[in-house]
Amino acid sequence: MTEPINPAAAPAANHELIDTVGDSDALSGSFGASGVARAPVGLPTRDRGELSGHLIVLEGTDGSGRSTQIALLTEWLESQGFAVQTMGLRRSFLIAKDIDALLAKNSVTRYTLALMYATDFFDQLESRILPALRSGMVVLADRYYYTLIVRAVVRGLDHEYLHRIYDLALPPDLTFFLNVRPQVSFEREFQKSPAISFWEAGRDLHLSDDLYESFIAYQTMIRKEFVALAKKHGFAALNGENPIRTVNADLRKRIASYLGIRNIRYKPSHSLVHLWQ
Amino acid sequence: MATPEIAIETAAKPEEKRPKLRSYSGALVVVEGIDGSGKSTQLHLLKRWLEVGGYRTYFTEWNSSPLVKSATRRGKKRRLLTPVTFSLIHAADFADRYERQILPLLRSGHLVLADRYIYTAFARDGARGCPVEWLRNLYQYAVIPDVTFYFRAPLEIAIRRILSGRPRLKYYEAGMDLGLSLDPVESFTKFQGLTLARYDQMVQTDNFVLMDGTLPVHQLQQKMRDVVAGHIELKRFKES
Repeated sequence: MTEPINPAAAPAANHELIDTVGDSDALSGSFGASGVARAPVGLPTRDRGELSGHLIVLEGTDGSGRSTQIALLTEWLESQGFAVQTMGLRRSFLIAKDIDALLAKNSVTRYTLALMYATDFFDQLESRILPALRSGMVVLADRYYYTLIVRAVVRGLDHEYLHRIYDLALPPDLTFFLNVRPQVSFEREFQKSPAISFWEAGRDLHLSDDLYESFIAYQTMIRKEFVALAKKHGFAALNGENPIRTVNADLRKRIASYLGIRNIRYKPSHSLVHLWQ
Repeated sequence: MATPEIAIETAAKPEEKRPKLRSYSGALVVVEGIDGSGKSTQLHLLKRWLEVGGYRTYFTEWNSSPLVKSATRRGKKRRLLTPVTFSLIHAADFADRYERQILPLLRSGHLVLADRYIYTAFARDGARGCPVEWLRNLYQYAVIPDVTFYFRAPLEIAIRRILSGRPRLKYYEAGMDLGLSLDPVESFTKFQGLTLARYDQMVQTDNFVLMDGTLPVHQLQQKMRDVVAGHIELKRFKES
């Protein structure tokens, strides 16, 4: 179930470091250890400040190669001198663990799950992504709110309901959609782990008792919604079934043109070269 | 005062996609108001009356879902919550309670009594700075109550009631995250004032039944029972 986590994206380690609050949540006569009021927190949309960084999103179904591409792009961009921050779903300090527990128990209802994912998303956005963008970093997102919209829509939630929740979020500068057929997703996911998980197969939707059928039916629904979103929002759609290095070259070309990088030649370092094969 | 039928129609505001026809045979009675307005006491008395009368009654209150408890506790203890994540985590909590408790109870024909409902989020999170339209959208799936009682007590009285019973205020409860004041009591007072103003705005738009929280308890309770009996066909809820 756990999505591969880039080491650069250790879940909001900052929170751990700044926890000087101690165990008590109660306030007595005067407030806080430092005696200084916290600056009031604004809304993510109205509190962006100067965002000198760039937000680049990779979307796609399970097994579309997003994580691999992000690992490669991170190395390439860093070799070009860009500071990179990554994000993905269920990596917030605030609520990620609770979502994991919830998914494991499989007793969650659709609005609750959608709203917990929204909490996870906005926590990462406000505590990590916006600060990174303010300091001029390139943020590579392994999935963004589009995935959350798609997953909730196939469970019957209203498009508009979801879009309006994410009205307060920052839209990406560049969004790529890695398009693969469900059969290919299946092969790739099966290589990663030797059994299909409950959620990858969308089993909460009761599509079929045959797990392969359920997987294909679910991923087909997800893909259809992605294709519609890609059209509507002008994602750059790439054929995710092409070899990794071909997809990567295409991504580099487009990102280079967006960031004004001249040199798009790249060969992975020793530690990543296995991804190239 | 609006009849429940009118309340349901007018509640479907143009920007909201609430179902116009009821899909449930139960009824929903809600109390709203700032802390110290007396709403919980009154709902408790109403519940007693209905239970003793032999009606199928169920009581529910905000923030009781174990589901998001650990995340909420973590967020509050470490002060990680922003206006948006504060609002969303409570929305997730409400959704769990709504989907697994409130709606099934309404579908199965219960008289559901709720201590705080979606209007608490509109008032409290609105006071924190979340846009009203965004909040309304967040809860648009929730049914409109048959009756919403709004207990209104002047700020000074409500604050005095709270502070005499509970001298230690919590960080978010006092609205300290808004930077209104360094002093928790002053911050709490200002934050409750902002919340109260939000509630006042909803009296018209959301058909609140206004209850004067300064009146004697038994007098208010009598009015509450009269309104409930007038709005809801109680005999439908009689235990057989």
